[in-house]
Amino acid sequence: MVKVPELKSQYIWIVVLIAFVTTAVTPLGAPFKIFDTTQEVYNFVESLPKGSIVVMGGSTVFAFDLESSASMIACIKHMARKGLRLVNIPLGVESVQYQKYCTDAARVDQKYGGPWKYGVDYVQLPYIPGGDPALVQLLTDVRSAVSVDVYGTSLDQLPIMKDFRSYKNIALWTCPHWGITSIFRFVTGERGIATAHFAQAAAYTGSYGYRTVFPGLVYVTNGWIGGAGYEKLMGYAGVGTAANDGYALASALLLIFTVLGNVTMLSQMRKEEEKEKVEVK
Amino acid sequence: MSSLTYVRGYLVRLLIITGCLSALISWYFVSPQADTAFTELNIMNMNISLFTLFVGIITISARYIRTIKAREKYWPYQLYAMVLMILWVIMGTTVGLFSDFYQTAYLSTKITLHIAILGQIVFFMASGAYRVFRIRNLRTAIFAIGAATLCALNAPWIAIPFPQLDPFREWLLSHPGMAPGRGIMIAGAIGACALGIRVFLGLEKGALRVTEAA
Repeated sequence: MVKVPELKSQYIWIVVLIAFVTTAVTPLGAPFKIFDTTQEVYNFVESLPKGSIVVMGGSTVFAFDLESSASMIACIKHMARKGLRLVNIPLGVESVQYQKYCTDAARVDQKYGGPWKYGVDYVQLPYIPGGDPALVQLLTDVRSAVSVDVYGTSLDQLPIMKDFRSYKNIALWTCPHWGITSIFRFVTGERGIATAHFAQAAAYTGSYGYRTVFPGLVYVTNGWIGGAGYEKLMGYAGVGTAANDGYALASALLLIFTVLGNVTMLSQMRKEEEKEKVEVK
Repeated sequence: MSSLTYVRGYLVRLLIITGCLSALISWYFVSPQADTAFTELNIMNMNISLFTLFVGIITISARYIRTIKAREKYWPYQLYAMVLMILWVIMGTTVGLFSDFYQTAYLSTKITLHIAILGQIVFFMASGAYRVFRIRNLRTAIFAIGAATLCALNAPWIAIPFPQLDPFREWLLSHPGMAPGRGIMIAGAIGACALGIRVFLGLEKGALRVTEAA
């Protein structure tokens, strides 16, 4: 039997690199499915009455949360189209920059030709430190936790904040961040507010189970592919669709290398068995 | 008993216990006074959390300045980090955190580099899949087959031609996938509670440097 040689890691990395560079230069346009979970988020946002206040809030690091931005950006576009309003609540040090990135990328502000006006249709609050107690404080009484927006403008001078005083004014909490457990616990569990977690693929399995804990209140999308689905529902191709090629390719490569690793191991075992038989004879 | 031991060992512990219990006031009592106390404690908590950011800068600066002065290993990198930190703070306070200029600078440097670091994971995942998912016995078989199955069921080129596999994928996520995840969370939470009680009771000898002071 032929002995399959052990591959050096460098060769595997070159294959992965070539695959990604090729699809980045020449997009494959790999097909993808709109999962039921993505459709459910879309339907829920669609069902909200005009003027409802939606929160984008949570925390962790920008680079890791980038995977969630595909769904979040599509959802912000959806909100603007529906005439909803958005309050951005950063609970992590990088969340202000991340939430600005999502809002800017959605191109919903009037400066980009969109329908939203800052302070009227959406607002960015400053970083709110303190973890879970700060979140509870904010839900109980917004002004006792924060008194100005990110520019330092008093909340009382912002028209949107006149209608946002406590958790009772929130129609939906969207979380495009890794830190979702506190949101499920204090926002959904204790106060009964619906939450949409635009989860990274690695966080999806953890969040998925909360659907059975709080039926009808928890909505989850799955990483880039969930974002691609939301983009398709909104009728445009964004970062999620662009990342789908890489996602499809990576899932194929992982399986190919898994099989190859086992074939290599089996061939080496056979070869050693044959060698042992020859030595015994 | 020295006064330092008394402060570290008993007074600080008493304050922490009182503070933690006070934070639960609004959960158990419905009164304006309880709400006011809860609000005040939360504001203190927020201030302390914010102060930890400064503690981080002070700690890093103290260590780096010492290393730079002594010209120890990697001192040029630490000098570079110190200069960058100071410049970044000046820039942030001058142009504002929500300005397009700050956003562009932030995206072009820190975020791009961080994404590059995270992007490397896919390379290690591929070489890891080649070496780790080798079926040598029952345990490795469950490990490898479980991972490969989830990977395949989430892959677009499987999900589209075989939509009838969707319920199986969802079952894997919500049952075998979720159960151990919850187990780990419950175990971690019980462990955290037990550790907290031990710290408050002074059974953890390292807590609040009681033993060190004594």
